[in-house]
Amino acid sequence: MRNTMKVAKWEIKRNLKNKTFLIGLFLTPVLIIGFMLLGSLFGDDPADTEQETTRVFVNDQLGVFPELQESVNQNKLPWDLLQTDLTEKEVAAEAELSENTAYIFIDERAMQEGNVPVYLSEEIPPFFSNELQLLSSPLQTMQMEELGITEKQLAVISKGFHFNEQSPGENINTTSTEEETSLGENPIEDLAPGAFAGFIMLSIVFTGMAIFQSASQEKKDKIAEIILSSLTPAELMQGKIIGYFVLGLIQAVVSITLLFPFLLWKIDLPIIEYIFVPELILLLVIAILGFLLFASLFVGIGATMADITTAGNFQGMVMMLPFLPFIFIGPVISDPTGLMAQIGTYIPFTSPGVLLLRLTIMEEWPWVEIVISLAILIVSVWLAMKLAGKIFKVGILMYGKNATPGEIWKWIRA
Amino acid sequence: MEALLTVNKLGKSFKDKQIISDISFEVRKGEIMAILGPNGAGKSTTIRNIMGIMYPDEGSITFTNSTGKDIPRHKIGYLPEERGLYKNVKVMDILLYLAELKDYPQAKAKQRALDYLKKFDLEGKEKVSVEELSKGMGQKVQFIASILHEPELLILDEPFSGLDPVSQELFKQEIKELAEKGTAILLSSHQMNLVEEMANRLFMIHRGQKVIYGSMEEVKTTYANFKCTIRGINNLEILQTIPEVLRIEQQEDISVLYLEQAVQPTLWLKQLPNELVVHELTMDRVSLHEIFIDIATDKNMLKETGEVYA
Repeated sequence: MRNTMKVAKWEIKRNLKNKTFLIGLFLTPVLIIGFMLLGSLFGDDPADTEQETTRVFVNDQLGVFPELQESVNQNKLPWDLLQTDLTEKEVAAEAELSENTAYIFIDERAMQEGNVPVYLSEEIPPFFSNELQLLSSPLQTMQMEELGITEKQLAVISKGFHFNEQSPGENINTTSTEEETSLGENPIEDLAPGAFAGFIMLSIVFTGMAIFQSASQEKKDKIAEIILSSLTPAELMQGKIIGYFVLGLIQAVVSITLLFPFLLWKIDLPIIEYIFVPELILLLVIAILGFLLFASLFVGIGATMADITTAGNFQGMVMMLPFLPFIFIGPVISDPTGLMAQIGTYIPFTSPGVLLLRLTIMEEWPWVEIVISLAILIVSVWLAMKLAGKIFKVGILMYGKNATPGEIWKWIRA
Repeated sequence: MEALLTVNKLGKSFKDKQIISDISFEVRKGEIMAILGPNGAGKSTTIRNIMGIMYPDEGSITFTNSTGKDIPRHKIGYLPEERGLYKNVKVMDILLYLAELKDYPQAKAKQRALDYLKKFDLEGKEKVSVEELSKGMGQKVQFIASILHEPELLILDEPFSGLDPVSQELFKQEIKELAEKGTAILLSSHQMNLVEEMANRLFMIHRGQKVIYGSMEEVKTTYANFKCTIRGINNLEILQTIPEVLRIEQQEDISVLYLEQAVQPTLWLKQLPNELVVHELTMDRVSLHEIFIDIATDKNMLKETGEVYA
């Protein structure tokens, strides 16, 4: 273990003294910020306002329409706010025919129960639900005006508002209060820990890809035999994995310290409070297991290559494995509990990514699936380390040529 | 003298091919033991087995001063045949790292590194990146790395390859000094003249098997017969009449006669025929170099009588 730590320390020191690594270390977050700025630059472009406006009909029983209009204007929402006299029953039929239209019913229910029924037509923009939240403040003001502020009333106010969305296809007869699908108080609050863990995983996995380079460099520089006269191949391999794990963490920390002030400025929300919740621990464990799996694969495969530029098809395929979860992003987002999501959860190469994504968007965590998936992941990590050790031991001393899959198979069986 | 390393009946094969078999020798404290042989004879395989980089199929390797079965890596210095250094690091950093891997105190390692760099004409190069060094300089740094931690046993696989004569001399002196201070040295080399000057004992290996093993003196008296070199154009038939000749090599006006082992030089000279044309005549013992070539090219002049026309 002491030798392992010496190797890890050396890998860290060597990279931190390396200009290429240092440039990359700071360039990554700067690029992220750059792209975000670029995005918002184009976002503000007036030419881009061509986006479809949503027609929003308000059946206003309380006379808050002017305030709502003001709120919409202030927030520059892409809405066409109109008044309507249609009743809820009529709207149900209407909504089925129209496109990109919403009906909001503001009546006594809003004041008493804090419930605002909303009927949506087909093809409503995905951010509409978030935009709806902006209407709560004029309503709240109204509510406060109506009630004198006593303790009891404050309790009512603090209940907030729930916008009950209903698509025309759904059963409209059920009352909105029963079928509440409450959107979390704040979507960013739910997404933050998962996004954070995902970011950490990407940071360490991508830095981990440098292990690949590092293992083949050992051969290219012909120093392997000198190093192995002082320690065992297993110690060298583990040292590299630990070293690059720490380097990945350094990358993540640097990125985050640079990104946070920017995020806090752009998004006016207490992100830090959202991120550091107990759930984060599990998410980080998943991220670390993901790293260990890929790191051991990389170090093993790296040892079979004379030079990174001569990587064969087989080696190239292994390098692409971390990108495999991207295939699952679409299906998982559209149905986080669906078959594709479950398959992704049980394949070791995709499970860290898919699991992080699912846990981020799911309200109720599927604990049984999580436990099975973690068990598969832990066994895979153990197996990958074992195999990588065998490949590394032989591969690291083979100079001048790449190992074929056949040869690698032979080493594994030896 | 105390043996630090004992190799006993070592055998190793890859697939069905036997690379080395029945290799036995020992390396003693304070001696330079040379392991010789043509390319592919099994020298590096033997050394890699000793270093635990490969695992022997048969036989045993014993380190006298070590307890337990593990290889005492910290007490061994190793300069492999296939060698290099990380490219994008500073000379001192890599030296200290390699010393640290051997558990050698850092402050002491640093001082010794500076001393050795000075000794090898690399003063002021400690902060230079390895990739900026010439090949010879790199070789020197690798050599320093192998001896920095004061090893009890030093294994050098082809230490002189790629060195200019000045650096060769420098290495030779240093290796000799280390042996005098008590380091046991196992040296593999192709430079026979250097080996002849330095080694106390030698082990010659060919096709994975022992050919010669003994002290330099023994080897020379046993194997190094006399040879007589004559300058002057002579007919082969005349030369063939000379007794006690094992083999004749002729090249233009130079004829070399390899003599039998029991030859008494003075007595033998008296038997030379009168008609022999002699512009110049020298008699000396066959050098290690010639023994080596002889074995490597399967001429086997030591065993058979025959004629070879060059």
